[in-house]
Amino acid sequence: MVLQGLITGIIIGGILSLPVMGVALIYGVTGILNYAIATIGTFGAFTTWLLLPYGLLPAILAGLLTSFVIGFGIQQFLLNPLIKKKGNDLTLFFIITFGIATIVAGLTKNFFPRPTISIELPKLGTLFIADVAVDINKVIAIAIAFSILLVMRFLEKTTKTGKSWIATSQNLKMAKLVGINVEFVYSLVSGIGCILGFIGAFFWGVLYNLTVNTGWDLCFLGYIIAIVGGIGNVWGGMISALIMGVVISFAGYWLGGMWQSVALYVILFAILIVAPKGILGSERSV
Amino acid sequence: MTIRHNLPRLLLPFVLALPALFVFVGGYTQWVIGYLYLFIIQGYVAWLLFYKTGQSFYGYSATMALGAYTCVVLQRLTNVSPALQILLGALISALLAMLFFLSTSRAKGFYAGMASFLLAILIPKLIEALYPITGGRSGVQITGLDLLLGSDNYFLLVIFFTVVIVAFIAWLINTRVGKIFTLIAENEDLAQATGINSFKYKLLAYTVAGLLSGLGGALYVNYTGSISSVDINVFTSVSIFFIPLLGSKRSLYGPLVGSMFLVLIPELFSSIERYLDILYGLSYILVMIFLPDGIIIGVGRLLARLFSKIVPPKTLGNSS
Repeated sequence: MVLQGLITGIIIGGILSLPVMGVALIYGVTGILNYAIATIGTFGAFTTWLLLPYGLLPAILAGLLTSFVIGFGIQQFLLNPLIKKKGNDLTLFFIITFGIATIVAGLTKNFFPRPTISIELPKLGTLFIADVAVDINKVIAIAIAFSILLVMRFLEKTTKTGKSWIATSQNLKMAKLVGINVEFVYSLVSGIGCILGFIGAFFWGVLYNLTVNTGWDLCFLGYIIAIVGGIGNVWGGMISALIMGVVISFAGYWLGGMWQSVALYVILFAILIVAPKGILGSERSV
Repeated sequence: MTIRHNLPRLLLPFVLALPALFVFVGGYTQWVIGYLYLFIIQGYVAWLLFYKTGQSFYGYSATMALGAYTCVVLQRLTNVSPALQILLGALISALLAMLFFLSTSRAKGFYAGMASFLLAILIPKLIEALYPITGGRSGVQITGLDLLLGSDNYFLLVIFFTVVIVAFIAWLINTRVGKIFTLIAENEDLAQATGINSFKYKLLAYTVAGLLSGLGGALYVNYTGSISSVDINVFTSVSIFFIPLLGSKRSLYGPLVGSMFLVLIPELFSSIERYLDILYGLSYILVMIFLPDGIIIGVGRLLARLFSKIVPPKTLGNSS
């Protein structure tokens, strides 16, 4: 039972880590916490579900592109001008991005024909880990979550775009001086953050049921876990998400479904009290 | 000069008491006005704590819920009178606010705000987990004071309590304590440099806000006669936080106008209820960008600009 709980926890944590990484990545580069990532990702996942009759790959690409375009567009046309005008006021951007999340959730509710969806993927079989049966789709979900983290770190170190967002996060003025189009980098990173939100929501829809409310839950958790992990710290976010996944899993076993969320939020609250700046602290230097 | 300066503050209780006349109209309109007043209380609490004392707190639905659910639990498990239920609800909510401040006092600004935001998410989950007593998402009904006193009398009582609470807050911010609250909001280091124990005053602000918000919550459940975790979820908290911002955080009348907007707009647009989320989201963004000082000051400026275009200042000067 312990191993089963641990595996389930790592899978939930892996999915949760995607929106968390999205929030952390965007904060690390832009200095603002975008609350709307998971609701935008949920909109993308609903788009994928709607287009599934046209083939799995086109549907996934459509969901991915929708999330990226919304994230990029919002950053480019709404948030960038605001950053320019008002700086990185966390409270201001909390309200603005909460407003964006509310609009996107409202659109998801009204635009799609069903409030609850389940994304059917082809069955790939079952894998046995020390006698515990695990759906291979779940293994793929967690593998993708970890791979994305590694790919992001690899891109940051090896590509020009990756280096430009590191430079932007470390020294904004210098990045501008050397000719980096800071606003484009912000928008690009915001779009990528929303893609991470999409992948998280997509796998949630594959493994469980996805609703507008689940999107909000991913939103709350993505945002709060990103803060608890160390605001803007991608590794901290990932570790926190995995811990919280395990907490959700074991709380479900021991306390029952109703107390699962209570246990999770009590622990998150306790961490914020003990370590107000998060488990690993902030990675952003400006 | 003093009377002129204090006129808005002196007039406020009368402005707030005037809708008591809706008791002669009765029916649903009267009910909506009473419901509006329950949010006016919360709006002024948010104004006092967030905007006047500068404390990042988003957990208004949590303090409100504690006041309301104390009444529910006491009514279901004991024979305590409704008046005592309301009083205990307010006191327990004040205790929660105090404990929250004491436990998060190490966290500053945004982080403390996020801890309170977590509280606003946690309390509805706790209510859902305790569904045998609280009714969870389906809700629970109580024999509220509206049934015991009659809906007209309880409507008047809600208005009376709102007037008293708002008058108290308006009085408080003009006392020495209120001025210290404002100083802490503007520059806590300066306040401490002048020998003010900011910890003590912040604790006081949280206690007062918790007490009044809990009282508002207790009045709420007695007015509606039922409550569920959905009524006091995190969106309620964000809406309450948004009330003074929408009306104007800089005006004494801001929370009043903000509450009217938040409660009456859904009533006016009930035919497009399914799109209200979108409307709310849009209003959050538009107000933050175009009306950062709220509707009152924003509209005032707009009218002043329009008026100066219609009657240019030079013309005004010549005519006089």
